[in-house]
Amino acid sequence: MEFSITEYKHCDLIEISGRIDSYTSPAIEEVLKALMADGHYKMVIDLKNVTYLSSSGMLTLVNAQKQCKRHNQGEILLAHVSDQVLASLGLAGFNQLFEIHDDVVTAVGKF
Amino acid sequence: MISKSFPGNFQSLAPISDFIVTQAKDAGFSPGDVYAIQTAVDEACANIIDHAYGGEDIGDIIIRVKEIQNGIQIILIDDGEPFDPDEIPEPDITSPLEIRKERGLGIFFMRQLMDKVTFDFSKTKGNSLTLVKYRGG
Repeated sequence: MEFSITEYKHCDLIEISGRIDSYTSPAIEEVLKALMADGHYKMVIDLKNVTYLSSSGMLTLVNAQKQCKRHNQGEILLAHVSDQVLASLGLAGFNQLFEIHDDVVTAVGKF
Repeated sequence: MISKSFPGNFQSLAPISDFIVTQAKDAGFSPGDVYAIQTAVDEACANIIDHAYGGEDIGDIIIRVKEIQNGIQIILIDDGEPFDPDEIPEPDITSPLEIRKERGLGIFFMRQLMDKVTFDFSKTKGNSLTLVKYRGG
């Protein structure tokens, strides 16, 4: 798993690639916590190159979403969610907790 | 039947997935079903590490894959504490975000994505979790 962060004027874009599972989700959690500790609560997470998302990865995103939404208009939006990842999110009911966009530009533009 | 052993730690999850994806593809499953089987096995192995062994690098996970009529059978064996998925209540996936309790999500995925999930415990042979998926099932 690899990630990169791009800071935009109104939000941060976090691009993740590879697997998000019980091995890699703690690193994602740290990244998201560090952003929130710096007062960044508006994020777009690009899942274009994510090949697998486990329940532990989903919980990491859901917990971060909970934190972000507690702050003024904070939110995590998802972009480029593959059909298979979307199906998994839907099975857990988590698809309703995230605004999902087909591309990053639209998602970033929402903030 | 193909059998492989992996160290019971989270770093093993990626090579376990690679192994399972190859087997499921070879068995003729659709990409969606291959992903479903990968998810069920990944969640099962994470549960074995977390709950049966109670941590990483306590023991191994043996995975036996067998093609059966119109499907695939995957048996996961560990020698950790008995862990019966039936004892874990299903999560309420309709509850509001603020009060969502997530214990049992991995087992919920296994049950939803596979056609059969059975658990056996033997004092001599350890825990065995059998997952079956039928093509088009």
